[in-house]
Amino acid sequence: MSALAASTARYRHGMEPFATVLVRRMFATWHDAAISIVCLAFVIWLLPKLIGWAFLDAVWSAPNATPCIGGAGACWAVITARWRLIIFGLYPFDQHWRSGLACLAVVVVVVLSCVPALWRPVRLSLLWLGGFLTFYFLMRGGVFGLSLVGTERWGGMALTLFIFTAVAVLGMPMAIILALGRQSELPAIRWLAGLLIDTVRALPLLTVLFTAAVILPFALPDWLIGDKLYRVIYAFALFFACAQAEIIRGGLQAIHAGQLEAAKALGLGYWHRTWHIVLPQAFRNSLPATINQFVITFKETSIVIIIGFFEVLASGHAAYGTGDWTSAYAEVYVFIALIYFAFVFSLSRYGAHLEKRMRLGHD
Amino acid sequence: MTDNARAEAVVLRGVSKFFGTFQALKNINLTVREGERIVVCGPSGSGKSTMIRCINRLEAHQEGSIHVLGTELGDDLKNIDAIRREVGMVFQQFNLFPHLTVLENCTLAPRLVLRMSEADAEKEAMRYLERVRIPEQAAKYPGQLSGGQQQRVAIARALCMTPRIMLFDEPTSALDPEMISEVLDVMVELANSGMTMICVTHEMGFARKVADRMVFMAEGEIVESNDPKSFFEQPKSERTKQFLSQILSH
Ligand SMILES: Nc1ncnc2c1ncn2[C@@H]1O[C@H](COP(=O)(O)OP(=O)(O)OP(=O)(O)O)[C@@H](O)[C@H]1O
Ligand SMILES: [Mg+2]
Repeated sequence: MSALAASTARYRHGMEPFATVLVRRMFATWHDAAISIVCLAFVIWLLPKLIGWAFLDAVWSAPNATPCIGGAGACWAVITARWRLIIFGLYPFDQHWRSGLACLAVVVVVVLSCVPALWRPVRLSLLWLGGFLTFYFLMRGGVFGLSLVGTERWGGMALTLFIFTAVAVLGMPMAIILALGRQSELPAIRWLAGLLIDTVRALPLLTVLFTAAVILPFALPDWLIGDKLYRVIYAFALFFACAQAEIIRGGLQAIHAGQLEAAKALGLGYWHRTWHIVLPQAFRNSLPATINQFVITFKETSIVIIIGFFEVLASGHAAYGTGDWTSAYAEVYVFIALIYFAFVFSLSRYGAHLEKRMRLGHD
Repeated sequence: MTDNARAEAVVLRGVSKFFGTFQALKNINLTVREGERIVVCGPSGSGKSTMIRCINRLEAHQEGSIHVLGTELGDDLKNIDAIRREVGMVFQQFNLFPHLTVLENCTLAPRLVLRMSEADAEKEAMRYLERVRIPEQAAKYPGQLSGGQQQRVAIARALCMTPRIMLFDEPTSALDPEMISEVLDVMVELANSGMTMICVTHEMGFARKVADRMVFMAEGEIVESNDPKSFFEQPKSERTKQFLSQILSH
């Protein structure tokens, strides 16, 4: 009641009265009104049930699933009992702190990348490289007295974050090179970039990853095969780069021809023009689509389950799939959905903020 | 010093330019000496822009030769770079870089091309921004300025490279009438400082005030080239008379 009153008051203040807006938006015709009433009734029916399930009747912690059985509420105890499995996967239990710190390092790098003072190519590259090495050596160990943990044991949230950031870090430069290649004045380069982009974009991600994980080892010499995780990441990065290259190309095409002419007339050479005039404007033009691509890529990381990696969705699966928690699958998926939501939502909010900020410097 | 003793800044000899099969420039001959101010006029599509864009190789010519400050323009990239460093250009659409502030627009090329330090480049840039009477806007983005202000920034940006020749392609045609004079004032002052200038413009008041020579073009050819007094008072060709009567009637 009070929340509604507050928002009503806010709407009244200097705007159309809340009631008028409500009527205009939801009850304009009898048709609208009917749909609105049905929806409203559904929400009123559902909300108490949902609150009851999620909060009032929920079991928050328990050593095993017994207290949950027959209960009307959510069994959050599965999260309390199994959150480590969900977040860290099969990583050695006594080394979980390493995996946690590694995730933190990635989050810190991502957050720091949002600080405009660090938006210099050299600073950003150093930041990402530093964060990446920190992550890698914390996870893998084998140095500074940390025990060695092979990538086959990496899992959960840490693996999801690792795949996502590695794909972004490798894929972005590739995307830029491909986009510039496709616009090149040299026909051979233009043709080659176009062929690669169009071929990869025509394939489903699953096929690309499957090929990299399962089929490539038969075709490559032993010394080139490497770790399965890295093969998958390279393939994923290529897939990302080809989609992102087309996005950047759209941004390039939106740049006014006069920009290049002015840069040429000032005596700037190709690389200076590209780096200081063309790319910053192409990025700005393609920012909304780029953020969207990041969101898609983050969600697509869950596909690696199929080729035998234990990322966050797979570890969630394991969390309710073993022991006596089998009935608590909904709770586990709600928890994982919240994790995805937190990442994707902050990503898109940040994108909206950037867009607003960049519009300031636009014509 | 007589005119003929001054060094040749720009020499076009028998220049022709084709867009596909369409010939935009036909056997153009033009010599501009250092310190000279040339005003180019002519009907739309007559090749004025094409001609001055050939001088800094924004367009490549196919026949004849172009020498700028003694260097021949050809496919040699070194020559092109050297010439672009000495030739500034101001466009009809300003073409400021929207993602950079006014000051950054002015310091970018001096820092990258002339390898000036940031501090020196900024000091120089502020000097030129003062000269175009706009120093208080240095921290703003182009999108926050009026058209006249943007064009003055564009002039300052070109001057920051300390060019020996300035090209203007209809610098006031995209401006609202009340902003034209603020840009022309800056150009008059620049002309009085002895800069070599080639201006495509239909501002005949400006032309009378500063031009050493008028060049009239039609259909890709230079039809008439004369000092302003003779050009305006006793035009030789019918085309020129017709053009002048049209442009001076309003
Ligand atoms: N990139 C191009 N491709 C094909 N034709 C072109 C190109 N640029 C110019 N032209 C043609 O060349 C001719 C001369 O153009 P130019 O822009 O030099 O004329 P202008 O005298 O500057 O005219 P305006 O007063 O309209 O600016 C025109 O007929 C034009 O259509
Ligand atoms: Mg023109």
